[in-house]
Amino acid sequence: MSAVDLTQFHKTFFEESQEGLDAMESALLALDSGSTDTELVHTIFRSAHSIKGGAATFGFVDVAAFTHVAESLLEEVRSGRRPVEPPLVDVLLRSVDCLRVMLRRSSAGQPVADAESEELRAELASLVSGQDEGVQPPPAESVSTSAGWRIDFAALPHLLQTGNDPLRLFRELQQLGQLDVIRAFIVDGAPATLAEVDPTLCYLGWELHLQGAASRSDLDAVFDWLDGDCVLEIHPLSTGGSAETENVSSSSPVATDPSRRDASPPGIVKVATDIPAAVRETPIAPAEGSSIRVDIDKIDALINMMGELVITQSMLSEIGENFQQSQLEVLREGLVQLERNTRELQESVMRIRMLPIASIFNRFPRLVRDLERKLGKQVKLELQGEHTELDKTVLEKIGDPLVHLVRNAIDHGLESPSRRKAVGKSETGTLKLNAYHEGSNIVVQISDDGAGLNRDAITAKALQNGLISSGQELSDAEVADLIFQPGFSTAAQATDLSGRGVGMDVVRRNVRDLGGSVSVRSVSGKGSTFTIALPLTLAIVDGLVTAVGGERYIVPLISIVESLRLKASDVRKVAGGGEVFHFRDAYLPIMRLHRSFACHEAVMDIERGIVVVVEEDGRRVGLLVDDLLGQQQAVVKSLEAHYRRVQGISGATILSDGSVALIVDVGGVVHMGRQSKAA
Amino acid sequence: MAGRRAVKRRSANTASGEERASPEAETAVLLPADCRMASQTALKETLLQAAEAQIVVLNGGEVERVDTAFLQLLMLFRRELETRGGSLKWHGVSEALAEGAALLGLTRILDLPAAALA
Repeated sequence: MSAVDLTQFHKTFFEESQEGLDAMESALLALDSGSTDTELVHTIFRSAHSIKGGAATFGFVDVAAFTHVAESLLEEVRSGRRPVEPPLVDVLLRSVDCLRVMLRRSSAGQPVADAESEELRAELASLVSGQDEGVQPPPAESVSTSAGWRIDFAALPHLLQTGNDPLRLFRELQQLGQLDVIRAFIVDGAPATLAEVDPTLCYLGWELHLQGAASRSDLDAVFDWLDGDCVLEIHPLSTGGSAETENVSSSSPVATDPSRRDASPPGIVKVATDIPAAVRETPIAPAEGSSIRVDIDKIDALINMMGELVITQSMLSEIGENFQQSQLEVLREGLVQLERNTRELQESVMRIRMLPIASIFNRFPRLVRDLERKLGKQVKLELQGEHTELDKTVLEKIGDPLVHLVRNAIDHGLESPSRRKAVGKSETGTLKLNAYHEGSNIVVQISDDGAGLNRDAITAKALQNGLISSGQELSDAEVADLIFQPGFSTAAQATDLSGRGVGMDVVRRNVRDLGGSVSVRSVSGKGSTFTIALPLTLAIVDGLVTAVGGERYIVPLISIVESLRLKASDVRKVAGGGEVFHFRDAYLPIMRLHRSFACHEAVMDIERGIVVVVEEDGRRVGLLVDDLLGQQQAVVKSLEAHYRRVQGISGATILSDGSVALIVDVGGVVHMGRQSKAA
Repeated sequence: MAGRRAVKRRSANTASGEERASPEAETAVLLPADCRMASQTALKETLLQAAEAQIVVLNGGEVERVDTAFLQLLMLFRRELETRGGSLKWHGVSEALAEGAALLGLTRILDLPAAALA
């Protein structure tokens, strides 16, 4: 019975519990939309049961106690004693939210139970055992009682062999209140002589009194793991314990203050409970040392790749040891093979970090359901491309912007059923989420069939905020771009969805931080589509290597529209010293990269250089470089970590010849271009 | 563990003079530091052997780790002694032993000295 450090399993428990809660939520939503699949109820029950078991094992008593009550309620559903009705789904969904918060607090080592969770637990307890139907014991049986509990507990012989120890159990009970052993006895059927005793069997029984505010579910959580290993009876104590007691809690510190549970008034949390869970949820910061679950196939592919690489390496070593000119062709073949192996190995390694976007998309059915009810709208959610894989880091950071866009689409985009009916649309609006690969990018689209962007309202608001001047003619793209400006909101009335200090500007900034871009296309009366383009991974960028003076700069391929050679006559000088050129019905500013980055001996004559047209958030500029050297995948190294932040540069990489090349931050460069144009 | 456990037998005519003389045989048992499940079988044999004596003096001063199995064994040992007409005395009770017995409500049953609870 050596002591095992259970804390090493905590992380796995939290991860699995979160997955269990996700499964519960999905199943509850399916039930909510009318599914009668009994397997859904089993799924919910199993998830709750696993969380309860794990929480009890690892000593997260509050989580175990809460889940126990929820599980009892689910057991009634599972056994067909309680029908699945919307109020029940509601309370169970709220329980899922509550458990998420409790688990997050547990993992952070914070106090777990609060007034909100206790209130919800009491609500669950009042539903359990048909107490609302008056069939089962009175509420005092399940909720806290000030008098305490009488516990008759007799071990079954095999109890110790299961790893349970009453000593440990009693210590846990002590945490719940004052524990008095009224009687300890040897159970009937125990061997009469010491010689017959098997020391691994248990022959003891106890009558205990536990005084304090512990609830029945607190006790159940303690005894949960003894199911089938003991005979147990628990009854409420009407008065204080008997005089003939052996008080065991007097000398022991009681860690839990029983009064704490009911300490704060429940009214405070009401405001928070009105806000949909997915909205209220604080972003889950990528925890330090966060882990990733990898499909075994991916690991196998990696091992295969490694094997191939070893074979190639040994082949090359053999050639190298006794090289003859005649083997040149074999050497070349070997090098080609090495290059292929390296590329495949790189792809395999990168695939390990890739996770399906479903983990983010799965949040939305719940969010949509909550918003529908809150805003009185009818929304049909369509999800596509959930299996599209995305780098874990990108995935963690894209969740909040997507939630914001979905919320905006329902709050501002989709009209109310009556309004939709009036304009001849179906009363139920459609919200589509789609994810797909496009080159080395992932594109996520959020489209609705709502009213579209209100051009008049946007320009009026922009005028009011001084973002544009009166009489300024704006293209549709420019109007759409205005909504990404800081502090921009046209919502006539601030709901608790808007006015959270998070706007479209934050969405754009978050997406940009990931090296991606966001744009919007809107047709009045038909709806809007927000498109987010993200790099597959943050670690590697597909880039065009360009020469500027003696330096090499890498321009991310995602941003490049076209490269072209200009004639001097194509370039127009504008006031302030800027240069522009005509490109597809628009004039684009020219940015001489050698000037921006102070490179010497660069090509100054625009006819000898090459202009690379890049685009960021719908704005284009032409970058003048000396030459294009080729396309290359660059492993991004942080410049900030090794040197300092440089405007217009997002990082550095090492080229095949060992020299360092800087990676152009197109967003930053476009911004610099606009600044210089304004100057 | 077995090396640390000692069973001593003394008789009334032992001339040591250090211990109070008893009309019957008296046995002292030193309980090991770790008295948990793994040591139960050996401990049971030791106690069975000791139960032959009229008075058994248990030294629990060095006990550091206890579990329910061990405290149960002591309880059954005392019952065995009483059935045989013998008696149990304590010579040293460690804090761990006293705390474990108190938690399971066995202090009186094991006849542990009251001071052990302090």
